[in-house]
Amino acid sequence: MLKRSFILFLFFCSSLDLYSQGVRDILPDSVSLVEELKNHAYIPNLSYRIQVLGEELPESQQVIDSTFLWTRNERGYLSPDFENGAQLESLVSEIPENSVELQFYVFGEKSSIDGVYRFLETLVDTGDFVYAQNQKSTDRDLVLIANRYHYQPIEAYKNLLLSDNQLFGVTLINVFFVLAAVSMIIFMLIFKKRRNQREEQIKDFENEIIGPLTSLLFEKSVDQINEMSKAEADAIFQDGIIQRKLFKIVLIDKIIGLNKKMKGDFKDKLKLLYQKFGLIEITRQNLEHRKWEKIARGLVQVNEMDLKMLLPLVKEHVNSSNFHVRSLAGATLLNIAEKVDLNFLRDQNYPLSDWQQMHYLRIIKYIAPSKSLQISKLFGSTNQSVREFGFKLVRMLGRVDLIQELHEINEKVSLEERVELIKTYDSLGAHMEVDFINSCMKSNHPELKKEAIKCAGNLGNEESEDIIILLITENPEFKIRKILLNSLLKLNPARFEQFVSDFPMEENLKIKAHLFDPVLSHV
Amino acid sequence: MKKILIIEDDLLISSLVQFRLKKDGYETVLVKDGNEGIEAIDAENPDLIITDVMMPFRSGIEIIHHAKKVLPDVPIIVLSSLGEEEEVVLEAFNLGVVDFIPKPFNPNELAIRVKRVLR
Amino acid sequence: MYNFLFYFLIEVFGIFFMILSFSVIIVYLLIMILSALEMRDFLKKNKFADYQDIITSPIAPGVSILAPAFNEASNIVQNAKSLMSLHYGRFEVIIINDGSKDETLQKLIDAFELKKTDYAFEPEIETQAIRGIYKSPNKSYRRLIVVDKENGGKADALNAGINISQMELLACIDVDCILSSDSITRMVRPFMEETNKKVIAVGGAIGIANNCDVKDGTVTKYRAPESSLGRFQVVEYCRAFLMGRMAWSRINGLMLISGAFGFFKRDLVMAVGGYFPKTVGEDMELVVRMRRYMEEKKIPYKVSFIPDPLCWTEVPEDEDILSRQRNRWMRGTIETLQLHRKIGFNTRFGILGTISYPFWSIFEKFAPILELVGLLYTLVLVLIGDFSALYFMALLLMVFLLSMLVSSFSVLYEQIAFNNYKDKKDLKRLIWLILLEPFIIHPKVVLWGLRGHIDFIIGKGGWGKMIRTGFKTAEDRKNINSQSNTV
Repeated sequence: MLKRSFILFLFFCSSLDLYSQGVRDILPDSVSLVEELKNHAYIPNLSYRIQVLGEELPESQQVIDSTFLWTRNERGYLSPDFENGAQLESLVSEIPENSVELQFYVFGEKSSIDGVYRFLETLVDTGDFVYAQNQKSTDRDLVLIANRYHYQPIEAYKNLLLSDNQLFGVTLINVFFVLAAVSMIIFMLIFKKRRNQREEQIKDFENEIIGPLTSLLFEKSVDQINEMSKAEADAIFQDGIIQRKLFKIVLIDKIIGLNKKMKGDFKDKLKLLYQKFGLIEITRQNLEHRKWEKIARGLVQVNEMDLKMLLPLVKEHVNSSNFHVRSLAGATLLNIAEKVDLNFLRDQNYPLSDWQQMHYLRIIKYIAPSKSLQISKLFGSTNQSVREFGFKLVRMLGRVDLIQELHEINEKVSLEERVELIKTYDSLGAHMEVDFINSCMKSNHPELKKEAIKCAGNLGNEESEDIIILLITENPEFKIRKILLNSLLKLNPARFEQFVSDFPMEENLKIKAHLFDPVLSHV
Repeated sequence: MKKILIIEDDLLISSLVQFRLKKDGYETVLVKDGNEGIEAIDAENPDLIITDVMMPFRSGIEIIHHAKKVLPDVPIIVLSSLGEEEEVVLEAFNLGVVDFIPKPFNPNELAIRVKRVLR
Repeated sequence: MYNFLFYFLIEVFGIFFMILSFSVIIVYLLIMILSALEMRDFLKKNKFADYQDIITSPIAPGVSILAPAFNEASNIVQNAKSLMSLHYGRFEVIIINDGSKDETLQKLIDAFELKKTDYAFEPEIETQAIRGIYKSPNKSYRRLIVVDKENGGKADALNAGINISQMELLACIDVDCILSSDSITRMVRPFMEETNKKVIAVGGAIGIANNCDVKDGTVTKYRAPESSLGRFQVVEYCRAFLMGRMAWSRINGLMLISGAFGFFKRDLVMAVGGYFPKTVGEDMELVVRMRRYMEEKKIPYKVSFIPDPLCWTEVPEDEDILSRQRNRWMRGTIETLQLHRKIGFNTRFGILGTISYPFWSIFEKFAPILELVGLLYTLVLVLIGDFSALYFMALLLMVFLLSMLVSSFSVLYEQIAFNNYKDKKDLKRLIWLILLEPFIIHPKVVLWGLRGHIDFIIGKGGWGKMIRTGFKTAEDRKNINSQSNTV
């Protein structure tokens, strides 16, 4: 396309060149002049007549004589005046060359060849005459070429395709698209079928598993299962089905799913069975896999089934660059290692997301009663999010014994962390921290201020009340005012009443109504 | 023979419970979601209902509502995977269930509770 | 001379359309690749998520669900019930009665024993007058808050809800949507996974509920809609949500979160002044403004997208309603782009300015116009018998095939990722539609888009001038009193 327009541009330039030349330079003789004129259906103020010499009109013209109205004169026959150059071709071609004479009329006056040249030159200058060659640039167009061969369309089409690179390119892309779309649809249908088959198969396997597994769990004791050989274990299911990979995967899912929901010796039985069925091999393969999702699956299996023998493999993943692997490996270690060590958590240097915190919290909650956790280790982390998580843990595990340790870092930590500290003191009812709370109420950190005021409502003293009154008189924004009044009400209802009646502003009254609304009170 | 309706979406759990209860000589009916549960309450006329809380289509709470309306005297045991979310426990007891067993659970323990309720 | 100019123009147009169609191809191929990568990662990640955990974890954020209701009396009670029974720990349901003319409010009051309260608050975002805030003394309905206000449109109603809301996250939804019970747990996950980039908003995919079996608030069986307009929207849904938004989320370039189902950080929504009620594209406008705010403050952030089928809605199968919807969408897009044209092609605004904005301008806003001009152009070529006409037919065919490719690819996605349309017959019907769509439906969509342009130009709504001037900064919105009436 670009090439085409470039050519066109060149043409444009060369045609500019044309205009600067005289008509005579371009049409040097009368033959070329006539050839040019034949291409013009109309040139203003220029017309033609044809004089046929001789007694008789040529036969070919006699036929159309009735319409064309030749007039008889002394030299032979004279045609009427006409302006369409194209007619020259049809009229003259039939008449022998030596018996015809072409006459030019400019402004109705008979003119010589020189006169015509001069006339044309003026027209060219005014732009009213454009050389026919110029208009015929579409001659180069393949469609026109194709048109000449229109009785052979197939060949023309073939020419087009091969001679035009762009069209060829587009066609190639089209073919590619068609193929891609068709193969996609075929793939989709096959895929759907396969998947439905797989789902069917999984369902079959599940049904296959439920019966034997249920009876095994109820009828055999832990010791009996422990004494089973691999062959005996395999024989529980229909002949050889356990050798199939998909079956093993379904079995793993089922055992893990059941283990989550069972209590007591059922858990031990399931864990034993997991090993007896040789499923541990699959877990090991998962852990050593290259893809992270396989590793993650392996970690989940180790975690759920307490596969302590695979711990060395788990440790390798604690510092994985993959977020999921990293946190699952950490969680697994926490869960099943004999000695729980929070060092790995303390030393993490990426921010701890809520998602990870949720996982760690669940596990730590679960193991806290049985294992000794040194949560205070986390307070010394260089990672702010880990320190904050440490404070949250104190709160969520109710570790009142750690308040003293928190107290020592009160002033050392950043304002954001103090928010967590305040929340922790609030929920643990740490009255001894009231001075710290009071100082935080005066903070410029909006979140810290808010939490401290809330907390003061539960743990505050008289000083807190004074600070509250002071803060209200500073005319705070509405939501802070609401929290302030709420805390004051909790601390000292009498002083609250006194305050509102002293300052019966609309805002205070509205807030009072809110605080005393029975329907809202439990919000 | 007493008939027990078990409404539970995890087939493995329900068949485990069923297996255990059959051993004690009860007749059991298994359904796998809330909608079937409602239908079974209407059709089966059970002596005891054991239901999960979180299930496809209908929550256990809705099922309890329905059961209390249709069969006000039939005891209900709730088997919950919610952990100890107290709101649900409270609501369930409010509605008059006799027992609330959180998962993870021990099927033997469940069997003992069933025996006590049906005695 | 004129003759020459004409041909020269034809050539220039030719080059223009040529470049355009090849960029369309490249862009769509890129989108296909990006979305495939994103979908793959998403599905892998999903396997290891224990969503049950989120429900009870004290670490999980609280969620305020905001559902504006206007003349919804017939279904409002059922809708409110199903919202309240979502599986999640800490959340509240705020239903905003936007001056309904029917019994919406009364039905709620009767069903949930609501009492008018003395709820004290000061509207941080200005809205139409609040007539009352209702709550129930019955503990079973403790999650429900009903706000009754003067009519002010959806954005205004949402703003009223935002003022009342208490939780860290806002979930803005259409009240008639069907939400899957685990929708909150899944949508809060990206917020919980936030590490060094602030997650400011999460969008969800909207499924099409027409002709599906719905039982007690969950879609139990998927079926392709009966009408071709309905099926077209299913394919469109696969394209828009499973492909388009996934690809955008991969490069963090999402500009639109569907108004029917989107989660936002409350403090940030407050910081930018809430929804802008004077545009018909309030959902897109808010996301763009929030992003712009983050860019202006130079805080790293992310807008996420969850393709899980969690929310379904009935889509219009009636041509009239659909045409009005598309017209509105187009106007919303134009208005948003106008309001924020400062960010367009501006490297200061990162991906938002250099990729998302230009893409939306060219491939969404101007698409119908370009298509129309392209068609006219081809027609002219045919008329003057230029060889290029043939060539353009080939190009046209190429675009058609591309659309087919993209559509079938996105349906394939649906099949791989979720496989909701299980019936083989449905799949066949969808494929059939993919083949016909460019001829029977696409022209209409183009037409509706054009009408949107026309309506924008003749200035439906009195805020046309304001919108044309645009916001100087993201916080500019707060200086505009949304209630002042300049009409």
